[in-house]
Amino acid sequence: MRIVIIGLILALFTACGSEKKSDEQAFLEGVDSAKTEGPSISEGVIGDILGRIPSPLEISVLLKESGKKYNGGYLNSPESVSNYNSNYKKALNLGVYGTDLGYTNIYEQNQDGVKYMTSIKTLADGLSIGQFFDIETIGRLATNSKNLDSLLLITTQNFNSINHYLQSRNQSNLSVLFLTGGWVEALNILCEVAAANPTNKEMQETIGEQKIILENILLLLSFYKESDQNMASLLTDMEELKKLYDKVNITYTYSESTFEIVDGVMVIKDNSSSTIQITAEDIANIKALTSSIRNKIIS
Amino acid sequence: MKKLILIVLSVFILSTLDVIGQCNSESLSTSCIPKLSTGFNFLKSYKIEKGGKDYVEYSYVFTKGTQYMINICAATQPTDGIIVSLYDSNRNKVATSKVNGQYISAIAYPCNTTGIYYIQYTFDGSTTYCGGSALGFKR
Repeated sequence: MRIVIIGLILALFTACGSEKKSDEQAFLEGVDSAKTEGPSISEGVIGDILGRIPSPLEISVLLKESGKKYNGGYLNSPESVSNYNSNYKKALNLGVYGTDLGYTNIYEQNQDGVKYMTSIKTLADGLSIGQFFDIETIGRLATNSKNLDSLLLITTQNFNSINHYLQSRNQSNLSVLFLTGGWVEALNILCEVAAANPTNKEMQETIGEQKIILENILLLLSFYKESDQNMASLLTDMEELKKLYDKVNITYTYSESTFEIVDGVMVIKDNSSSTIQITAEDIANIKALTSSIRNKIIS
Repeated sequence: MKKLILIVLSVFILSTLDVIGQCNSESLSTSCIPKLSTGFNFLKSYKIEKGGKDYVEYSYVFTKGTQYMINICAATQPTDGIIVSLYDSNRNKVATSKVNGQYISAIAYPCNTTGIYYIQYTFDGSTTYCGGSALGFKR
């Protein structure tokens, strides 16, 4: 009878306490050195701002849909992964490689994609978050272009899971770095493509619209400027970029939207509009400074 | 001794019932992803659980020239009285999924104005106050 009781109690406690214990332990051991004194604002607020930063995949889709050809030369070399030894560099370049992987995926450059996935896995393992990447499944999906949707879905889910995991463990500083690295890489690719297509107005406007995202990234980095020297230095660089973006004007005209129901989906007609005023000089300056910041990140 | 077994078993059964009764918004938001219309790339999944506030809100920067889709999934009925409303950066209401007393389970928004948008979920006669949602995009 005693054995039955002890068994029941043990089963109860095991059921309650087994949730991803090994993952948690590995994470805590692994990123201990990445801990800062903490941000000057609640993790919840930081999580809300992080959640609104758009996926770099949107820029890759824009480039593909506007007929621009794939150019692997725009991307960071996957071999550079061995240069990233600090958690600061690992987190930033995890974002950079995440953008590069999205770009290769959208263009169905699967061989390049596998190389980026390997580098991502190395960095993620270094940050003890490698458990979120099922490299075997991703590698298998990457071998067939018919699996593109699944490949995009699984990689987006992996990166979302990492962000949730880091935020739930009060390690949003790594998420901020990861998203900043990803955004700078996407902006750099966009600027490179725009420079090669100087008459493309859509791309010029998209560069201008990045002002809104930059403002949110600056806000995120500012929360850590007192507690993390590396992030304070990155903030200084990004503030220089903001000075260039201050010359970009975005104006909004609101008009009430209308809608119709099509096959059970409410399709909205957005009657509002916006105009973006950005000059060729602004774009050239933004391109040069973005490239310089990106070089610091990937060096 | 019998009492002790009874207590342990009761705790075990009650904790199991509690798990069953909990809102599994994580699973509902995951189940919403494949329900995005063809051509939309998945961006985010959102958990909808009534907390201290009357609404659940997330934000995302929408980009001009991109079409976004937001859908709703619930355990009992298609939307279980969950309404999604979209507000622009100045808090102007752009869309709401309740129209003429009908609850629409997905909205598509071709964006004309880049900016922060607020995706707000509210409950109107909901029985579970629990659901999930997915956000996707296409050009």
